[in-house]
Amino acid sequence: MRKAYIFLIPLTLFVVLSVFLYKGLYGDPRQLDSTVLNKPAPDFSLPDLMQPDLTYDPQIFKGQVTLMNVWGVWCVTCAVELPYLTELSQQGVRIIGLYYDQDTDPDFGIKSIPTIQKEVTAKLAQLGNPYEFNIFDVKRDYSLDLGVTGAPETFLIDKQGIIRMHHIGDINTRVWRNKIAPLYNELMAQ
Amino acid sequence: MKTLTTLICLLVLITSPVLALEEAYEFDDPSKQTLFIELTQELRCPQCQNQNIADSDAMIAHDLRRKVYELINQGKSRDEIVAFMKSRYGDFVSYKPPVTPLTIWLWLLPVIFVIAAAIFVFNQRKKQSNEFDEDVLAQADSLLEKEK
Repeated sequence: MRKAYIFLIPLTLFVVLSVFLYKGLYGDPRQLDSTVLNKPAPDFSLPDLMQPDLTYDPQIFKGQVTLMNVWGVWCVTCAVELPYLTELSQQGVRIIGLYYDQDTDPDFGIKSIPTIQKEVTAKLAQLGNPYEFNIFDVKRDYSLDLGVTGAPETFLIDKQGIIRMHHIGDINTRVWRNKIAPLYNELMAQ
Repeated sequence: MKTLTTLICLLVLITSPVLALEEAYEFDDPSKQTLFIELTQELRCPQCQNQNIADSDAMIAHDLRRKVYELINQGKSRDEIVAFMKSRYGDFVSYKPPVTPLTIWLWLLPVIFVIAAAIFVFNQRKKQSNEFDEDVLAQADSLLEKEK
């Protein structure tokens, strides 16, 4: 009896440790819990990328279900998902862009806006343009408020302007069908 | 030769990574400078997850450093800045884990283990010395008698 007890302790420890480490093998450390979920989109006032005189604020989310896609022409994965996003927008999904540029780094001087506009126009002409419009996150402050770690990332925002999903990585058929579409359809029905 | 070695060792010690990363961030107040260095070492880069933001060259790390600089210059305290980052990137962003019902075990488990081990060893000792006393001592005595 006593002997069994002594063998059982290391065995239990071993099993617990194995399960813990096994889970670690398949976990994606980049999928962090987003802190903005189920909260209204943080406040902002930022210009349109193509017409800098226009400014946007969170009112743009009111009344419509929106996918807000964080992207940039320098981001390879963003280029991969652009054709699929364009397909989605043709099916009637409202997609707006949150654009930020690496080279407008306040630490290293600022790339001129016409240059960025030219690059964006060329990229969208080549791969498709899913965006109703692009918000220009000039100093990347808004990305920081949203907890963005890189690009591409996508936020699903409901008709009340509340963030319902934060997806890190690209959107493709699989991700859309399995992860985003169910919630999207639910929000559309509200 | 010995002085040369000492000198090289000293030089290596002085060139710490902190001094290498000053970038364009200058403070009027040395205490703010210290706070900046402490915070950029304690905050973790959300993209290159095994580096702090002082160490990482990812764009997000640049942005977070700039934000820390701005917040310090606005007169924000250490706790306020950490809270600011946590509200955006979660507890993950700080290398110092918060004490929650889940993480408390990080501190409790080692203590429990040491206490349990101590009790186990103590009990074993007690049992051994008890068994030892009577029989074995008598046996040893009789052996000694025979030798005489």
